[in-house]
Amino acid sequence: MRSMLLRRVLRQKGAVIGGTIVLSVVLTALLAPLLAPHPFDATDLLNTWASPDDVNPLGTDQLGRDILSRLIIGARVSLAVGLSVVTVTLVVGVSVGMVAGYFGGRTDAFFMRAVDIVLAFPEVVLAILVAAVLGPGLLTVIVALSLVWWPGIARLARSLVLVQKQELYVDAAIVCGTPAVKIIWRHILPNIAGALLVRASVGVGFIIMAEATLSFLGLGVQEPVPSWGSMIRDGLPALRTDPMLAISASLVIGLTIIGFNLLGDGLRDALDPRLHGR
Amino acid sequence: MWRFLARRLSSLLLVMVVAIVVTFAAIHALPGDPVTVMLSDHSADREMAARLRAEYGLDQPLAEQFLRYVGGILTGQFGLSFRYVHTPVVDVLRESLAISPVLALAALSLALVLGSLVGVHAALHRNRVQDTAIIVALVAGLSIPNFAVATFLVYLLSVKLGLLPVAGWGTLGQAVLPVVVLAIPSSAYVARLARTFMLEVLQQDFVRTARAKGLAERLVIWRHAFGNTLVPLATSAGVMLGGLLSNTVVVETIFNIPGLGRLAVDSIFARDYPVAMAVVLLFTFFYAGINILVDLFYGLVDPRIRDGATA
Repeated sequence: MRSMLLRRVLRQKGAVIGGTIVLSVVLTALLAPLLAPHPFDATDLLNTWASPDDVNPLGTDQLGRDILSRLIIGARVSLAVGLSVVTVTLVVGVSVGMVAGYFGGRTDAFFMRAVDIVLAFPEVVLAILVAAVLGPGLLTVIVALSLVWWPGIARLARSLVLVQKQELYVDAAIVCGTPAVKIIWRHILPNIAGALLVRASVGVGFIIMAEATLSFLGLGVQEPVPSWGSMIRDGLPALRTDPMLAISASLVIGLTIIGFNLLGDGLRDALDPRLHGR
Repeated sequence: MWRFLARRLSSLLLVMVVAIVVTFAAIHALPGDPVTVMLSDHSADREMAARLRAEYGLDQPLAEQFLRYVGGILTGQFGLSFRYVHTPVVDVLRESLAISPVLALAALSLALVLGSLVGVHAALHRNRVQDTAIIVALVAGLSIPNFAVATFLVYLLSVKLGLLPVAGWGTLGQAVLPVVVLAIPSSAYVARLARTFMLEVLQQDFVRTARAKGLAERLVIWRHAFGNTLVPLATSAGVMLGGLLSNTVVVETIFNIPGLGRLAVDSIFARDYPVAMAVVLLFTFFYAGINILVDLFYGLVDPRIRDGATA
């Protein structure tokens, strides 16, 4: 089953291109300290906005820091946020969705109302609200984005549980006197985990985009830690004289998100044969 | 229909109540005493501090302050600003109020026209080079963040070619890039939808009938086929408008446009939380309002949703 899925993914050109991009970003993030030619926070005020040369392959920023090194470390920040948010949303969303779907009734109504209310807030605005309360920073980004993303996962988990509940094996487990928690955790979850994981991975590209957006607005990761979004923010005012910073960061973030989205689309299509040929 | 309307309105009311409670809690949970911020140089002046505390109602019990807050929203004043002392929030907002909706509507119109043209074109050339090229472009359009696209366009069109102003607000030229940048992801989204809908509609019998009776191909495609994709497209337009409105925050920051979104971000940094929260409330109300209108529109054209138990 698993190798069939892999073969189906590999058959799609877009997914292969996306997968290659994602793999190189992940490797860059893992090997960042080895790859970066300079420390990302080493300032050199006598060498600000330097043009690309042998020492600084992409030049330096407004504080004389090596742009290439900061881009490489920035990959870590993006992926760390993406991974944390996916983990939090999966844990929260799946727990809420499964409990709501399995027990139904008032529990279901309560949780789904909460989901509706969160979804009624525009995403960027909700993130601004969280940033105002917690103050800008990495934790703020993770909390804000998790808050925005868990309702989608909860809805999906709920609908998947509703389907599984019709199956005979659930009735059998109930008749055997298995406690509800065990049925949810040991019997139903393994059957819906695949679909949930794919759905969560499809969202990584958008989470990385949202992280960059918050950092671009100044509400995200704070100095001296580099984020691609805040690098673009720093680079925009100097676009006329020293375009290297803003342009290179824009290029990297654009490519990364395209990679994640191509891979996500490919995974989704491979899992859903109905979409073939569309 | 009336029951459907009542149910939607009651959920709108619930969202508004939650939004009001959350923003009130946010203003009060925040670190730091606003009066100290307001006084800045005069922080030793006890009497002035007491006067400000009374003027802002900060000496009242929390319940009293909440009533005051709700009263401020109902009268449209939204309380007093922390940054501009003695000034009602509504006066701080007034200049910016119209800018974000204008930007969002302009971008929506552009996205609908451009997206439909591209999507229909892709559907008509299905599985050929043009279709593939368009699909790749659409993924890029949906993937690259606003500010990264803006960087490329400003560098190319404004810095290198000198065609358009880099930033600012007030002239038509200054509005072009912000609207285009804002419209790109939505255009890609519309194009994707239009392509999918068209592929479905083009296989229907009535399209074959229209062709068989000898109608010009242009009429078949635009009036008969595309005409039938308009309802789902119009529905998605409503959803997009809400997204576009909140995305103006980013575009206004890039292009230095004095709209509501930039005001909200500026206000957070200036610790002027009443202004920031007023913008959050306005955006939320607007977003929720649009969603209701979309549902109503859907209910009008599709009785199954209107009469169904869950909407």
